[in-house]
Amino acid sequence: MIEFNNVSAGYAKSAPVLDGINFHIDKGEFVFLTGPSGSGKSTLLKLIYHDLRPLSGTLRVAEYNSRRISRRKIPYLRRKLGIVFQDFGLLESRTAGENVAFALEVTGASRSFIRRRVSEALEHMGLAGKERCYPQELSGGEQQRVAIARALVGEPYALIADEPTGNLDPSISREILKRLEDINAMGMAVLMATHDYSLLVDRDHVRRLHVSGGRLIYDGPTGSFAPEEPPVTGNDTPTVV
Amino acid sequence: MRSIREALLGFSRAKTMSFFAILSTGFSLLVLGLFALALLNLNTLIRYFESKVEIVVYLRDNADTGRVGMAVEDLGRIDGVGRVNFVSKEEALENFRRDLGANSDLLQDLETNPVPASLNITMKPGFRDTLHVQAVAERAAELPFVEEVDYGREWLRRMDIFKHVVSVVGMISGALLALVAVVLISSAIKIAVFSRSREIFIMKIVGATNGYIRRAFLIEGLLKGLLGGVLATAVIFAVTEVFSRKLIPITGFTDRYYLYTVAAGALMGLLGSWISLGRYLRRI
Repeated sequence: MIEFNNVSAGYAKSAPVLDGINFHIDKGEFVFLTGPSGSGKSTLLKLIYHDLRPLSGTLRVAEYNSRRISRRKIPYLRRKLGIVFQDFGLLESRTAGENVAFALEVTGASRSFIRRRVSEALEHMGLAGKERCYPQELSGGEQQRVAIARALVGEPYALIADEPTGNLDPSISREILKRLEDINAMGMAVLMATHDYSLLVDRDHVRRLHVSGGRLIYDGPTGSFAPEEPPVTGNDTPTVV
Repeated sequence: MRSIREALLGFSRAKTMSFFAILSTGFSLLVLGLFALALLNLNTLIRYFESKVEIVVYLRDNADTGRVGMAVEDLGRIDGVGRVNFVSKEEALENFRRDLGANSDLLQDLETNPVPASLNITMKPGFRDTLHVQAVAERAAELPFVEEVDYGREWLRRMDIFKHVVSVVGMISGALLALVAVVLISSAIKIAVFSRSREIFIMKIVGATNGYIRRAFLIEGLLKGLLGGVLATAVIFAVTEVFSRKLIPITGFTDRYYLYTVAAGALMGLLGSWISLGRYLRRI
């Protein structure tokens, strides 16, 4: 599903932000992506939705290969990824319904299809009745739910969430996390970058990728993670204490 | 088409920006249009004065009518000559009498008619400059029965210079104004596109192709430019009407020029959007 093979990436070859990244996420997995600020979390996510190309190594997302993908194909890859941002990424001048519809409009789907899917997506996220509200009229939590609805409406392969709870208070954050887990339970892969470690409490069995200094230093269950681990040199075997 | 609907929605969503872009385009086109109007009317004035150009070939009193007749035909065949009118001594005297008006009684005691017969030659439009007029005058002067040829040489020369200056100044000013218009319009569009940069980013994130984004913005740009052109057209029309009714009648734009104005607006809107958008689409 998502596969990184010795990927290095950054904005200058001499100083890569990420180096030697190897991991593999399967369909239906839920994975936390953690690491201090500037460690390369966002860069890693950008690689997945091809906002950035690797300097070396290859990464695969579903059937798209970073080496072979042409620029023209990138939009199609992104349609198969649901992306959620910390600042929600909603268009202020459109209603909640129009924001969600937007993701389908770019695909050229029919209006009746879009109408139906939008209703379903909003209802699924507990926002039935809020279709005509503008983002400014919604709470932070509601806005993020609209963003998630938009991410899901195109039935993507995976949901990529870049600090989705960063702008939300703790109880709402937990609610959002719960929703993402529900989505995952229905079979969708979810990769969630976060530096809110309070959310990881009680989630010992959830897989965690920890990036530090541009390297992937841990890949394993959250509960077994200890900060002083040496870098993962090989490929798949996580170092467990 | 959905794209047009999108474009119209885009308008209502960014009302201030849209308004600003339409106004900039409209204003630029208005300035250009008024300039063109001024030139048009200047041209009309020049044409009017040119139409007064006349070569008067004064004939000796003993001119043979047959030979005069042949001369009329010959001169009439010169390239650019419009009409050659023979004015007899009697007609000339009558004209003179009429010109004197109240003072015509001065002519009462004349025994002989001092006024000469003449050939009045008018030139066709396009041939009313020094070069052509002089050529005809010289041909006429060669005729043996011609006393004198008068064609307002000095006046004609000044007219030539004037026309030349008008055309050079007109072209330079026009080019400068057009440049200013382009800069103004593209700035307005750049600002409009920049203020939508976040929207463009989100469009890309949800998987809109560059083509989709481009179409949306280009159609919007085209419509804004079109409306700007229509605005300019309306004002130019109003100015023409008010002038013609309240002051003096002036030459207005023909329908074709109004169409050009609107089309120019649409084109500028389209190009401006294309260029401004290009920068954003190349990035991701």
